[in-house]
Amino acid sequence: MKFTSLVFRKKPLHAVMLIGVFLVILVILTIMSTQALASTTKHELDLVKQNNPGSSFEKTKQIMVASDSSSTIPTSNHVITQLAMQDPCLHCHVIGEFSGIWTPLGRWTLFGSLGLIFAFGMYRTSSVILNRKTWKPLTVRAVEWVDERYDVTKPLTDVLSKPVPRFALKWYYCLGGITAFLFVVQGITGIMLAFYYKPTPEAALASIQYIETQVSFGAAIRAIHHWAANGMIVMCLAHMMRVFIMGAYKPPRELNWISGVVLLMLTLAFGFTGYLLPWDQRAFWATTVGSDIAGSFPAIGNLALVFLRVGWSVSGETLSRFYALHVIVIPLITVGSMVAHFIMIRRQGIMKPL
Amino acid sequence: MSEKEQYAPGESIPFFPDHVKTEFKVVLGIVGITILVGIAGMIAPVGVGEPADPLNTPMHVKPEWYFLALYQLLKFTEGESGLLFAISLIIIGLLVVTFWPFLNPQKETNQKPTIFRLIITIIGVLIFIALTIWGEVS
Repeated sequence: MKFTSLVFRKKPLHAVMLIGVFLVILVILTIMSTQALASTTKHELDLVKQNNPGSSFEKTKQIMVASDSSSTIPTSNHVITQLAMQDPCLHCHVIGEFSGIWTPLGRWTLFGSLGLIFAFGMYRTSSVILNRKTWKPLTVRAVEWVDERYDVTKPLTDVLSKPVPRFALKWYYCLGGITAFLFVVQGITGIMLAFYYKPTPEAALASIQYIETQVSFGAAIRAIHHWAANGMIVMCLAHMMRVFIMGAYKPPRELNWISGVVLLMLTLAFGFTGYLLPWDQRAFWATTVGSDIAGSFPAIGNLALVFLRVGWSVSGETLSRFYALHVIVIPLITVGSMVAHFIMIRRQGIMKPL
Repeated sequence: MSEKEQYAPGESIPFFPDHVKTEFKVVLGIVGITILVGIAGMIAPVGVGEPADPLNTPMHVKPEWYFLALYQLLKFTEGESGLLFAISLIIIGLLVVTFWPFLNPQKETNQKPTIFRLIITIIGVLIFIALTIWGEVS
């Protein structure tokens, strides 16, 4: 049954009209009060302006502080109107109140949600009275609305009702899942760091110092990104050892093992490219010797070296390249490989140990 | 697919909500540890070292800990032939690891191969740790 025919079956617009009238009255009252407040204050402010030309916000604050220090409550109309004049948020603040954004925001949220609950209650009650029907929850309606169009319930149920064998509930079966979750953590904290990080040789180190000292929780985010990277490699290796020891790579799961090895390589590539980004001595020389390892390979060594360093030595170009690899190229390949890895597990199930 | 999963009643739990609940607890644990790491990071930041200077090579140049064993292996081997030996060892090792399922596809009937692989893994981890520590102190 359709949403519209269910709710507005007999007397179509009664419920809506009721709420509409209520809301209109509310809006009119609000506008009237605001207008009245604004016009009074504006009038008084004009007077204040005429009397003290060149009055500024700082000056008003001084008046306020002076009246505070002389232990009299600043009830004088003069002071309050002067303060109100400086307030750009008169529609939110109570007159003369300089509480920043949080007090009015809290007030709006509190009274707004109460109003919404009240409006919803009115709508629901009138709908039930007018239709003589049991109320259908909004969640059910939303699901039905989507299901009518895209038919999601059945495939979703199939996915969710897949049985998980009891032998796979041991702790060492969740190492791979932890790796995947740490990848998500890395993604989130990495995006946060990328908001402030600057991949140039001049600004890289300073931007990281800025993150650690000036940005709120910047030191925490960087610490999480740093340590979760190490944890991801440890978990990746532990998962690989578990699969190796239990023989879970055997046919028909060969491709799953290979995609896992690819994911390990990508994780190491993440670590290798990410290590250069602080652009301090340790990072610079670690990258130098790291790319030396790649360069010592026969036949393709020099090619790999030049590709990694963009030239024969580590420079600002290397930093740009590593940054692009670290935040765009490797994440995309990793997500693709992870999806393949998971789909294969899903199709084949978890290997039953002996 | 030869071994389609068919579990006897009682041998499996439904993915939703039972297994999701268990996994959610694991995720909560990891999030808790992450927050602890974040708090530790606020107290003792990771920090940065001296600015990079291409003209000034520091005394001890080291890669990250997970490349340290590899680096030490390459440093340990001397001369052209030694380097070639180490490199070919690494390449062969990489190929063997990647294509291992094709080298060892036999079905198993007892626990013996599992224990054998466990011992191999432990030896491998010990070698890795030894090389890493050696690389760290040298």
